[in-house]
Amino acid sequence: MKILLVEDSIRLQRSLYAGLKRHGFSVDQAFDGEQALTYIKLNRYDTIILDLVLPKVHGLNVLSTMRSQGNNSQVLILSANDQTEDRIRGLDLGADDYMVKPFSFDELVSRLRALNRRHSGIKNPVLEIEGVKIDTVERQVSFNENVVSLTPHEFKLLEYLARRRGHVFSHDQLIDQLYDAASYVTRNAVEAHISSLRKRLKASGAPGLVKTRRGFGYLVE
Amino acid sequence: MKSIRSRLNLTIIGTLVLVLSLTAVFLYLRISQQVITVYDTSLFDKAKALISLTELDEEGLEFDFAEDGVMNEFELGPNSHYYQLWQLGTQLLIKSPSLLDSDLPLIGIGLDRHHFADVKLPDGRAGRLIEINFMPRVEIDDEEGAVEIPEPKPISLVYARERRTLDDTLFAIGLTIFTIVIVVLMATSLLVWQLVGRGLLPLSTLARQVSEIDESSLSARLSQQGEQSLEITPIIDQLNNFLERLQSAFEREKRFSSNVAHELRTPLSELKTLSEVGQMIPDDREQLTEFFRDVGEISNQMEKVVITLLELARSDAGLLNSDPQEILLSDFCDSIWQMAINEHEVSKNFVKHIPEGLTISTDREKFAMILSNIFVNAINYSPQEADIKLSVEIQNDYIVLRVKNVAADLRPEDIVHMKDRFWRKNKSQGKTSHSGLGLTLVYALARILKLDISLDLDSQSMFMVTISGVPLVLE
Repeated sequence: MKILLVEDSIRLQRSLYAGLKRHGFSVDQAFDGEQALTYIKLNRYDTIILDLVLPKVHGLNVLSTMRSQGNNSQVLILSANDQTEDRIRGLDLGADDYMVKPFSFDELVSRLRALNRRHSGIKNPVLEIEGVKIDTVERQVSFNENVVSLTPHEFKLLEYLARRRGHVFSHDQLIDQLYDAASYVTRNAVEAHISSLRKRLKASGAPGLVKTRRGFGYLVE
Repeated sequence: MKSIRSRLNLTIIGTLVLVLSLTAVFLYLRISQQVITVYDTSLFDKAKALISLTELDEEGLEFDFAEDGVMNEFELGPNSHYYQLWQLGTQLLIKSPSLLDSDLPLIGIGLDRHHFADVKLPDGRAGRLIEINFMPRVEIDDEEGAVEIPEPKPISLVYARERRTLDDTLFAIGLTIFTIVIVVLMATSLLVWQLVGRGLLPLSTLARQVSEIDESSLSARLSQQGEQSLEITPIIDQLNNFLERLQSAFEREKRFSSNVAHELRTPLSELKTLSEVGQMIPDDREQLTEFFRDVGEISNQMEKVVITLLELARSDAGLLNSDPQEILLSDFCDSIWQMAINEHEVSKNFVKHIPEGLTISTDREKFAMILSNIFVNAINYSPQEADIKLSVEIQNDYIVLRVKNVAADLRPEDIVHMKDRFWRKNKSQGKTSHSGLGLTLVYALARILKLDISLDLDSQSMFMVTISGVPLVLE
């Protein structure tokens, strides 16, 4: 899940970035409204975590601009403004959720996952494909009650493709969606992760799940 | 709790009842006294008539009124009158046939004197009598020549008759007065109730308006409907002034609480996330070290806010005093500047025009806080490599200090808000550790040191803070 974190506090950026990365999210960082609009224009994000009081362009203006440009990324407002009218304004302008500072980091992560489930139309946090269970909360894969040990990158790949069953994604699309702008991931790295993922699944007796469409990319059927 | 209207009504109506009752009693007594006097006069006249018909001649006392057919009212009957005469107060001379075996009471009074009294008549009726003591008229017949006439002796006459007509009259008078009093009282009470109500209408309207005001409607103002009342107008004016102050204090309080909460929310979020994420990465020493550094910075920032708020609270409560000391101004400004610039990793040029040896007398600690805040603002809001100019001007026994710097982001309309608590040009807390309390504190401290602070922004975006009234130490 690719996230744009728009927050002017460097310290909050630092801790949120580290925490979200730990939870397997790809995170891009923007420190003001102008930078956020540029990132939104150039990339596709599943979710944007948006502070309201930002330098240069106010968060609500960022939200209304991106919505007016047809951007449908989910927006979670993270603001110190706790008044009901602030929440109403934010939600009416097209935000999907609103959290007031100070907040619990675990709750933030849960809300991001809930937003993702709502967006993908799959309500169950445990995806099951050909007997392989992918627990998106525990970030754990199992087959026949046996845990399949995966790296965070492999899990991220599997979860992304499993949530979008039947859709083919190219290398570039996967890099764009699964890795943040600062990661500099190559096509070879993606191939290596997929290869490793298949091996680990098969080693546990599970089907490989990730199929290759030559010339197009990868998918989970 | 009684209403003013009820109290006024009760007081006025109570007073009216008292006054009218006293008047009625006085009137009744006065009229009844007059009526009794008239009645007694008729008794007296009748007694006089009886006296005039009593004469003494050679044959002794003659009572002409007792002759048959002269005064029938003394005969026995349903409306009989009564008389009885005594000589020397003891010897019965004659009494009216109506008395039969009964007697009228005799007190015994001096000659030519009389008195009236109520009496129960022999037939049981209530009556009134007159007792009169007189000397009988001596009748001398000149034609018969000299005759011997007995020595006249004082005679006591008691004449009595029923007093029903008198009592009926008195009752009618009493009833009339009572009826008038009741009618007047009822009419007056009604009138008083209405008039008091109408008179107190502006007060009732005011009370209703006041009772409708709560914390959510402090912007409402009281008004007087209809004719302006001299007594109510100053109350309304004062209440409106009070409401104005209350509203402004309420809004200030609300804004302040909201600002404090907002100021603390972001650092608290930072601390909370640092703590939660830090626990997730116990193995990442590098990241944790950075987190700890952040925690330290956040603590310092929050400490500054809390200390400044405490200083402001102490200043508001009048707990801060000035402790003047002699300060060598140039060196003092250098040291404050150095501390301010060291806190910020930026490059600015400090251009100082202060004569060496110039000494001022003020509270060192508070003046340092004032200068430090002004320098920090100048450092933060001026462009890189900008000049920050400090100059001094001597005016009589005081000096005027001016700190000038370019502040491109400032607008003239910002100047009035700059001393407001938590005001920041840029509301974002991202790269700054400013809470927006610096200039508020500067103003508060200046008030204690009896200094004047003024802020100006010219058309070239040159921002200037002027501190005037700093006492100069003369050599």
